[in-house]
Parts: sequence; C-alpha cells; structure tokens
Amino acid sequence: MSADAFLELDGVDAYYGQSHILWDVSMEVREGEICALLGRNGAGKTTTLRSIAGARPPDVRSGTVRFKGDDITDESTENISARGVSLVPEERRIFPNLTVEENIHLSGVSRNWSNRVGRALSFAEGGLSNEEVYAQFPRLDDRRTQQAGTLSGGEQQMLAIARALKQGGDIMMLDEPYEGLAPQIIQSVEDAIRRISENGMTILLVEQNAVAAMKIADRAYVLDQGEVVFDGTAEALREDEATREKYLGV
Amino acid sequence: MSLLSQAVTILLNGLQQGAVFALLGIGLTIILGTMEFLNLAHGALYLIGAYAGLLVFKEAALTNGLLYNSGIQQVGLGAGFLAALVLVPIIGFVVGALMERFVAEPFYDRAETDQLLVTFGLALIIEELVKQVIGGNTFQSIPPETLLGVQASGPIGLPIVGSFPRWRLYIVLIAGVVILATYFVIERTDFGLVVQAGTRDSEMVRLLGIPIDRSYTLVFAMGAALAAFAGLIGASFQTISPQIGMERALVPAFLTIVVGGAGSVVGAIAGGMVLGVVVAAFQQTYSQWAFIVMYLLVALVLVFRPQGIFGSVEVGE
Repeated sequence: MSADAFLELDGVDAYYGQSHILWDVSMEVREGEICALLGRNGAGKTTTLRSIAGARPPDVRSGTVRFKGDDITDESTENISARGVSLVPEERRIFPNLTVEENIHLSGVSRNWSNRVGRALSFAEGGLSNEEVYAQFPRLDDRRTQQAGTLSGGEQQMLAIARALKQGGDIMMLDEPYEGLAPQIIQSVEDAIRRISENGMTILLVEQNAVAAMKIADRAYVLDQGEVVFDGTAEALREDEATREKYLGV
Repeated sequence: MSLLSQAVTILLNGLQQGAVFALLGIGLTIILGTMEFLNLAHGALYLIGAYAGLLVFKEAALTNGLLYNSGIQQVGLGAGFLAALVLVPIIGFVVGALMERFVAEPFYDRAETDQLLVTFGLALIIEELVKQVIGGNTFQSIPPETLLGVQASGPIGLPIVGSFPRWRLYIVLIAGVVILATYFVIERTDFGLVVQAGTRDSEMVRLLGIPIDRSYTLVFAMGAALAAFAGLIGASFQTISPQIGMERALVPAFLTIVVGGAGSVVGAIAGGMVLGVVVAAFQQTYSQWAFIVMYLLVALVLVFRPQGIFGSVEVGE
C-alpha cells in the first residue's frame, strides 16, 4: 500500500449473487483530493462504492478495503459510516416522508444513538452543526419544514449532499450527483462539491458525465466491465484521447 | 332517530372499531416498513391480547380443553380491568420481542413467501394452542363495570345521539390516548424518526451510521404490544374465541394499511378510521353488506390509488 492512501481497495472481487461484477479492482483515494471514478453504465462504479460502504449486496469475496489503514472489508455499513465514510447514493435516496430538517437531523442522530444502545465504537468527530450545514445550502434553509419528497431534483441532490456533510465524515463518495439535472443546476452542485473539498473533505466522485467530473477532479480511474483500465491524473486522462473514446465515449 | 343522530352514532361506532383497526395497522405497518417483514402472526398477537385480557381481568369458566380435562374448571386472576390494561401490552411486548428474536430475525433475508409461510404457521400454532389449552368455546365480551373508580358500564347521555353505551365512548377515548402517544413517539422522537426513515429505506439509515438493526426488536415488540392492546380493547366489546386473530385482526390490519398506505403511521390511523366508519355505517343500515363493502372499498383503493391515502410507495415495491 502506498503511504498516502486514505482509502484503498486492494484486489477487490465483488459479486451480485453468481455474477462476478468487480474483477481485481485496486485503487486509492488520497487525503484531501477529488478523485473521479468514471466509466460507462454497468462498468461497476456503483458496485465499487457499495463495496466500500459495506452495503450488501454486492458480496466482496476477495480483496481488501482499507480506510485510514484499517481493514474495513467486512465491517457493517453503519460502522463504516461511523468511521467517517459517507455516501451520497445514486438517485439521492433522501427520505421523502420526512421534512428537510428531519432529513438533516437524522444524520446527526447516529452519534447519540450509539450511546443509547451502548455501542463501544467511537464516532467520527467534526460533524457540522445544522446552522453550518444550512449556511452552505441557503435554498434548503428556505425549505426546512417542507417534505423532502416535494423538493425539485436539484434541491434533493443538495439535501443528499447536506445530509452527508452533517454526518461529519472524512470522505464523501458521490454517486452520479449530476444525473437528471439541468446544466445550471449541475453548475451549482459542482460549486457545492468544490466548496466542500476546499474545506478539507476528501471526495470520491462517480460520474457518467465524464467531462463534468474531469473538470473538478485531481485524479481519475476508469472502470470497464469491472476492471480498472485507466489510473492517472485528470490532466493525463484529458489528454489520453484513445482511453476517453474507447471507455467513456467522449 | 334523526338523520343527524344516526350519523353521529355511526361515527362513534366507527371510531371505536376504527381505533382497533388503527392500533393493529400501526403495529403491522411499522414492522412491515422497518424490517420489510410480512408478519401474518400479527393477528395472533391480537388473539393473545384478548385471552390475556380475559384471564387477567376475570376468572373464566372452562367447558373443554386441556386445562378443563385435567380438572381445572376456572382459570384467570380476576385482577380487574385496570390490571389487564397495564399487563396486556407488557405481555404483548414480551411475546413480540421473543417472536422477533426467534422467528422473524432468521427470516429477514429470506424470500417474502418464506416469511409468509413461517408467520402463518406460527399464527395457526398459537390459535391451535389456545384452542387446545383453554378450549374452543366462545367467551362473552369483557367490558369493565368501573375503571379507576369511574363507572364504565351502562348508558351515558350524549348531545345529539341521546343515550349511548358508556364503555363504547371510553374505548374511543382510551384507544385515542394510546394512538396519540404512539403518534408522538413516532413523530417527535429520534427513535421515531429512525423508524419513519427505516420504513422507507432501511439501508440508507444504516448508511447514515445508525445501527437500525438494534432497534428491530424494539420496533417489533412495540407493534406487538399495540396489537395485544387492540385485542384487549376488541375483547371488551366483542366475543372472544380462537378464531378472532384471523378474522377480526389479521385481515382488517392488512386492509387498514392497504387503505392508509404501507409504511405510514398516519396512514394506518387514517385507514383504520375510514374502514371503521364504513363498516359501522353499513352495520347500522345494511349489516349483511358491511364486510362486502369493506372489501370493495379496499379493492377500489388498490385500483385507483395503489399507494394508499398517505403512502407514496406502492404496495410490494
């Protein structure tokens, strides 16, 4: 393992039932960077994020996932989250039946919740206060008491990001945050990701919109049919026309 | 009887029946939503509540069954209705917790058909056990004479309606308090927030670092306590027999959450009340149609609003 790897996958093989999805995937995310994970639909990007987050399925049958040097491969989803890995999942998955405020409050519950059920593991420190979260997303501030299900797509994406921010983790994994959003909304989501990154958060960004992702990423990985086919700086990927055309179609 | 007084009587009877449906529906819906577990033994918890209520409250005379055959002709503590009101939900809670640990938990990751088979089997076993031990005979309903020193039997004069059975009015009040308390827990506490979120997307709750699995026993036990409480309330105005778990609890509970919307506590309350009032309206007018109309209503909801009144997720999604 390289010394500066913050999050590291080492030879990960993951399955959905009998189908082998990730083939010997190795990658690393360095502290403080924006790392993009690109590839076509079905390349295994979401599976990679779910493998890291400990969400099952997929079933990780071999290989190791390490976060800050600790092996987290077989840890529970909630423990991995508590260690400081937050996921902004595909399709946002905000709780439509709860208000904006309740959605954000829920992310802060984990730290208290653990005490109540007598859990030993300590939680990641440095969670933001509600006010700090709202300060970054003024549109959500205006809609605190609104049911989250009634928000627009862009607002729901903002809420999903705000929720992850409130968790107070050290790395934020975003799965297709631009999906289904209008160009000017994509711009504001991009600004939000930049701002969060500048505040010290490490970011792993999964996107099908490779052009948009390369704009803000420091480094990039390209996945194809579950295998890593490119690994380098975003700059190098921009210049590597063959890889872009073959695997990303741009 | 004027039209208005008839309407108010229907409403009061409907609220009373609806309160029982709502109590059952809340329990079923939080278990279904949070654990994605279909509990066909939910009616058996109602059955347990009714019999536990009978045996705590009264001394029941047996006429057949295992106990009778071994020479016991009277069972029960005769401890009064208040004792039943306190003990029955506790019994339901404990039975629910055990059910979660030993029956439900091993089946969370199994197919829905497996869950249906094991819980339906459990429901049959509980029903048959009651029948074998206490006997298959029907017991009269067990309304209390007094409660906390206040007279609970006899008629009470109400505006518009005139004379109305006092206990039936109290049922609406007592069940209303319990429903409100449950609503408060679900809507105003962190535990309730986690349950509400979990009814929609329990994996996302875990992704937020909340070990929701540890709340499963508590959620299940709470749902069971409500079902048992519903059993006691039901037994206070309806007859008690081993079949009531299936007939008066399991089916109405499912109809309630179909009407209200699966996974929604507010929906379960609303669904229960709607069904209760509809059944009461027909029982008072064309009683033989009451249950047919109830099924028809549910069928219409499924056709035109499959997500239920308050649900936003379709059943089975």
